[in-house]
Amino acid sequence: MEPTEFLNLYLLSVTIASLLANVAISLYGVFYKPHYTKKIIAVSILSDSANTIAIFIGFRRWLSPSQPPSVAIATNLSREGIEKFANVGVDPLPQALVLTAIVIGLAVTLFLIYLGYMLYCHYKTLDMREIRRLKG
Amino acid sequence: MRIVEIAVIILIVLAFGLLITVAFSYIAPGTRIRPLGEFYLYATYNPYDPIVRLFTVMSPEGVTAIVWDFRGLDTLFETSVFYLAIIGALALTRGLMPAPRSEEGQGLSVIVKSVTKITAPMILAVGASVGLHGHLTPGGGFQGGSVIAVIPMLMIVIFSVLFLAKRMNVTGFLILRSIGLAIIGFTGVALFIAGLVLGVPAWVFQNMPKPGAPLSMPVEVHGALISGTLWFFNLAEMVAVASGFSIAFLILLLVKEVEFRGKS
Repeated sequence: MEPTEFLNLYLLSVTIASLLANVAISLYGVFYKPHYTKKIIAVSILSDSANTIAIFIGFRRWLSPSQPPSVAIATNLSREGIEKFANVGVDPLPQALVLTAIVIGLAVTLFLIYLGYMLYCHYKTLDMREIRRLKG
Repeated sequence: MRIVEIAVIILIVLAFGLLITVAFSYIAPGTRIRPLGEFYLYATYNPYDPIVRLFTVMSPEGVTAIVWDFRGLDTLFETSVFYLAIIGALALTRGLMPAPRSEEGQGLSVIVKSVTKITAPMILAVGASVGLHGHLTPGGGFQGGSVIAVIPMLMIVIFSVLFLAKRMNVTGFLILRSIGLAIIGFTGVALFIAGLVLGVPAWVFQNMPKPGAPLSMPVEVHGALISGTLWFFNLAEMVAVASGFSIAFLILLLVKEVEFRGKS
């Protein structure tokens, strides 16, 4: 295996490993942090990590050391330009799905925040242990 | 107890690592992407290929083409999910009334307020540029709307929440948001209605001419590429998202200023 090849694979593994650690830490936060706000923060970190992994799935390897993959936007609109673009662009589908996921995640976060506000109005606390003690 | 928690983290990492090892050939980026993605790249702006031109969107931006044309219905319902979240927030905070208080003497110093008055139109221009060029450059309606929504947030922090609420209340933003959604809905069925009037077959959410449905939205206006429905969708989504975010900020920070009407 060539040194640059090895380095590429190593850096990719480091990225994926750190994303997995992110997922694990956020799941830990959802499960074990007693405070409602911290649970919401953990959920948003979880969704962002998942989105980053999804973006990585659509990435394209450098075709040669001098030719990076292009973003999913065609700049040369001639016939040859479009054909070349289809061979160097990154996959736009995961990016579009992630855009949808971000908006829906935002809507869910918004709803959770207002739910937390009503929770605070009723129980005067956002500590989940306290809420469990007060009302089953 | 601490041991259990650490064990849970390690187990999650190990399980996801196993999953990724099994699926590594799908996750590791190769020199070729999936055939579907390659088709989208090839078809996003392609008036040349005799077969692919039946599916093209005439937009150089692949992501916006997927979001508003290839998977347009998906995005329509995503927009309605965001709308329902705002409706849910309004329903949950129903019955909260702002306390009668003066906005005099609130907010930051005069310098900050003057600078905000200068920068707010610039932010609006940047947001409009990001949103209305969504079919040409990275960005689109949602991103442009998010940028524009910075302005009410700045006004809330730098002036006060009552300053904003006095000039543009929740109902005003809700009307603006409903107008945006109405434009999205109308653009979706515009060609269908035109087809009914002209007696020509046409689809709901149609953008470019399809086999058997020859109608199409304008690809360019005076030589400027607008990619048919994409420009209208981006414009309407920008208005809808900007006012939706403003409603969210406004309610969230107004409740700090309220007292309960009746029993809490």
